[in-house]
Amino acid sequence: MEQQNPHGRGADAVLNLQPNSSISIAYHSLFGPHDDLVLLEVDEKLLEEVLHQRVSIRGQPEEDAVFCTKSKTYGIKYVGTSNSVLLIPPSGRSEYYKNELDSHQTDNSKEVAPVIKVAPGIMELHEIAPRIDKLKLLLSEEPYSFADEWENEAADKYEKRMYSWDDLINKVQASDDELKAGLQALSAVEIDGYWRIVDEKYMDSMLQMLLHNRILNDWSLDALDEDVIMKVMKMDGFPEKLVQHCLHVYGDKLDGNEGKSCLWRLDEKRVCVHFAREVLRKGKMKLEHLMDEWRQKIPLGMCANFDMLEGEVLTERLGVETWVRGFRVCQLPSNPAERFTILFKERPKWEWKDLQPYIRDLTVPGLSSEGLLLKYTRRTQPNPEAEAVFSAR
Amino acid sequence: MQIKLKCNCGETKCLEWALVELQGVVEPQSTFQDRIQNLEIGILCRPSAQEMYTFTVGYHELTGSKVSLKKPLLVLKKTRSVDEDQSSDIKSGNAELEVIGIIRQRILFKTRPKALISSAMFNPTMVFASSEPEPLVKERSRASGSAVKGQTT
Repeated sequence: MEQQNPHGRGADAVLNLQPNSSISIAYHSLFGPHDDLVLLEVDEKLLEEVLHQRVSIRGQPEEDAVFCTKSKTYGIKYVGTSNSVLLIPPSGRSEYYKNELDSHQTDNSKEVAPVIKVAPGIMELHEIAPRIDKLKLLLSEEPYSFADEWENEAADKYEKRMYSWDDLINKVQASDDELKAGLQALSAVEIDGYWRIVDEKYMDSMLQMLLHNRILNDWSLDALDEDVIMKVMKMDGFPEKLVQHCLHVYGDKLDGNEGKSCLWRLDEKRVCVHFAREVLRKGKMKLEHLMDEWRQKIPLGMCANFDMLEGEVLTERLGVETWVRGFRVCQLPSNPAERFTILFKERPKWEWKDLQPYIRDLTVPGLSSEGLLLKYTRRTQPNPEAEAVFSAR
Repeated sequence: MQIKLKCNCGETKCLEWALVELQGVVEPQSTFQDRIQNLEIGILCRPSAQEMYTFTVGYHELTGSKVSLKKPLLVLKKTRSVDEDQSSDIKSGNAELEVIGIIRQRILFKTRPKALISSAMFNPTMVFASSEPEPLVKERSRASGSAVKGQTT
C-alpha cells in the first residue's frame, strides 16, 4: 500500500502549484521544534563554495563559531523573526515521508504539503577579520630554542605544547589562507610536523654564525650559495631546516640559477632591523647611542638607516635630546579596538607620521583606513597648516 | 574544532524546500494543542496564473505572493556521530553539519488577515493571531475561533 501516492506532495507541490488550484498546508506527522534544522543565508558566491564542500565551521565550544571558506572568514549571526516561517521539505527526502500514507489522516484525494517546523530565525554571515592573534599566543608557548636540540628527542615531546597544522585549524578561527598568511607573518616554520616560531636568541646566533662564516669564506652577501651554506652551517651544529628558515627570514632566493644550487641575497633592511632589536632590548636610550651601537653590530657592506625602524621604535624629544625605545608593531594585537587601546595607553596623542606605521597593517572587512580612524580616534587640527593629531575617542 | 559542512547533493541536485511566511502566529485551538501532528493549518490557493496566493486559516484569509529570495537559504541538518562514548555528550567533538536542501523563493503573506464572515466551508481548528501591531486583532481572531469551537468536535 506504500508509494501509491498519485498526488504531488511536499515542497514540490507548493512550488509548482498550478493556477486555479489549491493545496492543504498541514502540520507534518513529525512536526516539532527540530533544533537540528537550521537555515543559513548565503549569497551565490558562497553557495558555490558550500556545494563544492569547501567550507567549514571553526571555533572552540566557548568561542562564537565562524564560517570559513578557503580564503575568508565570516561571523555567524542569528537573526530571529516574529513572523511564522513554515518549512516544507521536498517529497524526495525519504526520512520525512516514509510513513506518510499510513499516518496522514487527511483525505487522500487532497494534496497536502506538510510543515516540518516553524523556523524561529535564520543565520546570516558577514565577513570579518580572522581571529589570528590566538595563533601568536599558541606558538609563543613553546618557541623553538637550543633546548630543543639538547633534549632527549622523543622523551619530552608529549609535554610540549606544540601544534600541527590540523591542531591549528581546530584552534584558530581563520580560513586556511589567512592561517598560512598568519604563520608567515610570524615567521613560523614547520619542524617535525609542528609549526613553531624560533626564539630570538636562536635566530640571532644562527645569523651571527652565517655572517661569521661569510667573512671566513669570503662569501658575497648578494649571492650566498645554498648548498655551500648548508654544509658549513651543519658543521657548526645547525639543522638544515633551521638554516633554510634563517635564509627565508633574512634573505630572498634569487631566480635564474636553474640546475645549480640556489643563490640567496641577504636583505639589508631585515638584517639591520634584527640588530637594532638586539640593541633596543636594553631599554630606553638616546638616539645617538642606538645609532652607534647599531652600526657596530651590522655586517660589513650593509648600511643602517633610522628610517628602517618604522614600527619598531618610538622617539621622544626631551629638550635637545632625542630618546628612543623599542615598540614593535608586530607585537601588537591585530584586533583594531585592542590595538588602539594599547596605542593610546602608550601615548595619548599621536601625529599621523608616528601613528601610521602602527596601524597600516590593520584590516577590517568593509571598513576603509579612514573609516577605521573615524571609528577609533579623534582627529584634531588646530589650524589647516598644523599636523593632525589623533587621540582616543 | 572544525566542522566540515557536508553537501552530498552536489551542484546540480540540491532539493528545494518550500517556505510559507506569514506575519503573526498561527495557533491551534486549545483542544488540539497536544496533537497537532497532521492537523491542517490552512488552504493555500493560487487563484490565477499570476504568482499571487491566498492562504485561508480558520476564518481568516491572507493574500500574498511568491517572491524570490535575494540570497538563497540553505537548510542544514546537525548530526552527531554515534561512535563516541556516552559520557561525552557535552563535548560535541563529532558534530556534523550537512546541507539537505535549499530555499530560493518564499510565499510571503505580509498583509493583515481579512475576516471571512459566516462561511461553514472552513475548518476552524486554527486561529490566526497577528502578533503586531495592536493586540485588538489578536483578541478578535481568538474570539472568532473560540466561537466555533463546538462545531469541530
